[in-house]
Amino acid sequence: MTQKYQLHRGLYDVVKTLPEPFMKMMADWLGGIFTAVDEGKPILHNQFTIFSELMVALDIQLLSPELWQVVSLQLDPNACCESIDAAQDAGIHPELCSANKAIIGDTMLDKIPPPSMVVLPTFPCDNSKISYQTVAYLTGAPTYFLDCPYWMDEKEAMDYWVNQFRGLISFLEEHSGKKMDYDRLREVVEESNRCIDYWLEGVELLKLQPLPLNGPFVSGYMAGLTSLGLPAATAAVKASRDDLIARLDKQETAVAEEKARVIWFYYPVFWDGGLTPWMAEMGAVIPVGLVGYYNAEPIDNTSPETIIRGLAQRGLQSPMGRQGRGASELWIDDCLNAVEQWKGDCVILAGHPGCKWLRGCYGLFRDIARERGIPVMVYDVDLFDPRLTSAEESRARIEQFLTTVVFK
Amino acid sequence: MTALEELTKPAASLKNPYIDRWKEKGGKVVGYFCSYVPVEVIHAAGMLPYRMRATGSTSTELGDLYASHITCTFCRHSLDQAMRGEYKFLDGLVALFSCDHIRRMFDAWRFGKIDLPYSPYYLHFLSVPFKVDGLAVEWMAGEVNRFKQSLESHFKAKITDEALSQSIKTYNEQRRLLKSLYELRKKEAPPITGAETLAILIASTAMPAEEFNQLLKQVLDELEGRDGFSDYKARLLLAGGELDNPAYVRLIEELGGLVVSDFLCYGTRDFWDLADEDSEPVASLAKRYIERVSCPRMVNYPLRDQFVKDLVKDFKADGIIVQRLTYCDNWGCEGARTRWEARKNGTPCMVLEREYMMSTVGQMRTRVQAFLETIGR
Repeated sequence: MTQKYQLHRGLYDVVKTLPEPFMKMMADWLGGIFTAVDEGKPILHNQFTIFSELMVALDIQLLSPELWQVVSLQLDPNACCESIDAAQDAGIHPELCSANKAIIGDTMLDKIPPPSMVVLPTFPCDNSKISYQTVAYLTGAPTYFLDCPYWMDEKEAMDYWVNQFRGLISFLEEHSGKKMDYDRLREVVEESNRCIDYWLEGVELLKLQPLPLNGPFVSGYMAGLTSLGLPAATAAVKASRDDLIARLDKQETAVAEEKARVIWFYYPVFWDGGLTPWMAEMGAVIPVGLVGYYNAEPIDNTSPETIIRGLAQRGLQSPMGRQGRGASELWIDDCLNAVEQWKGDCVILAGHPGCKWLRGCYGLFRDIARERGIPVMVYDVDLFDPRLTSAEESRARIEQFLTTVVFK
Repeated sequence: MTALEELTKPAASLKNPYIDRWKEKGGKVVGYFCSYVPVEVIHAAGMLPYRMRATGSTSTELGDLYASHITCTFCRHSLDQAMRGEYKFLDGLVALFSCDHIRRMFDAWRFGKIDLPYSPYYLHFLSVPFKVDGLAVEWMAGEVNRFKQSLESHFKAKITDEALSQSIKTYNEQRRLLKSLYELRKKEAPPITGAETLAILIASTAMPAEEFNQLLKQVLDELEGRDGFSDYKARLLLAGGELDNPAYVRLIEELGGLVVSDFLCYGTRDFWDLADEDSEPVASLAKRYIERVSCPRMVNYPLRDQFVKDLVKDFKADGIIVQRLTYCDNWGCEGARTRWEARKNGTPCMVLEREYMMSTVGQMRTRVQAFLETIGR
């Protein structure tokens, strides 16, 4: 009998042979998923802004559906197309974010291990909230929403948010049949603090000019979605940081001549892994993107209460979650800060067709960028579906922008 | 002019004589997007709550400077109207995270892209929960209080508990009257069309509540003596998001589909549930607005599915039409799920995509005709 999820199993078979700590982390994640599938153990689907600490403490296997899509796209740029089409054929509107169409389609086609439970916040967008409700309808999986207030200025807002995490623990206990061991959670959080320290160092090192290595710094985010709080995740992020330090020591740079530092303040074009190396050939490097932009305080491990509060505070910082949970200035200010701190020469914004919350910021951002003399390019490209804008078209537009507007 | 004719007029334009008279007397008008805004608070402050529409808009040229081509056309038209000064009669504006389109459009107001009649202008964005549970109700009570305090502070008003309780009674009366109107639509030959009903619902959001309630009572009396509409092919439940154009409903009804009930933003979702008149008013409003029949912004879809199923049964609907604005993700997935659920229940259902201004009418007619042919009597 053919095993399911052949594409991902094939990837796992390759990744588990590779010695790099980042590959070991990804292999552990994929291996854990297939073990759970083969042994009938529970799998929790964590939306792409939900980090792993609580689930790791309860030894619940995680599967981020969006990350599941992303890894498949590394092997086949068209990996999501069948699922996207299946969702649309079933009546899902075509303007939905293709990541979410792919998740719904994967669910319909059994191309993703089904969830025993699902966790997501009410950010960053409508696409996510309504799609996961659709998946809950299709699978019957218990789904927990972390309800985030729009404004976080008031103490009451943070208290309400912290209570969501208390509720999450109860939900996880109920549906996993396990009880939270707060000593174990303390260990996990201590490990995650170490990991995040390396993440922050790595992100900081990419502020240097010239760039030691083309960014953005992604291993921290991958750790967050898969296994933050486990030693393998810390090792992976540390290795990425160490790599940067080693390159600095040897005075190695991302490119021979750095002609432009591009702030790509959105997610990468996941099916086009060759895009950033191609840009680098022209001398255009990416020191930071939405994926690598992160800042979080270490969690205070003094008591279960301080841990839960710390996890809640950290839960507001995940890439895209941080920027999408509220008003436009959350994204705009971060983007402007990225330009300033990472010494950006320009901003390129992928106009993912499903991303209404972010596209709605662009007009306001354009005005501010114009005032500050920051060149900005927005172009339509679907991050999960290569059929909207081809790789060639992407390169033509980016090249035109860089050569006519940015390169000095 | 009959009361029915009087009450169906305000829907035809952004402003109307009720608002003009209100303003002439020195009254303030506070606009709001979304039925999750507790209008009772605005009313208790002595102000007129006005639900935002873009009626009469013909272009999105200006609005598109800050909206995008993937923003829904309601928001694009509304923003365009705002930038052309069509909302200058408003003294303030309230919104919440109804959807990504609304919140980003509201940011254009907040970022000063609208030429406003005075400064600082009253803009308030409520943080309404997405969940329905005790904590959410408690949080919403805090939000209602914050909203109340912001109105008091900005407009130098005082909103007493007594005033708020009275406003709750006024709006409850309105909701009861609307439910009485809907009872008439359960008849084999309803005395009122869906288009007329939508016009009345819109009027309830564009004139003083007390005057509306009086007129609606007269309408109910008039309808007692009105001949019912029996010459239809099918009874329909109309579902979906923002719809403030009775002409859209009229088109469906001209083809033989009588709209006998709805699951709409201006319809049942807005008025179906009452607030408790005997409880502390802020707590009562919080409970009412969180626990009411929800829209897809809220994450409790099973209750919505059941409500729609019950409406189909109670109003003896032969089919469901779900209309949604292009780029509306909430109703995109909700519409799909409504159709799947309807199929399970044996209820014919179709999903129609539309733009805010009626266009591609020919295509719509063809699809609706075909639908009615398959389900009609």
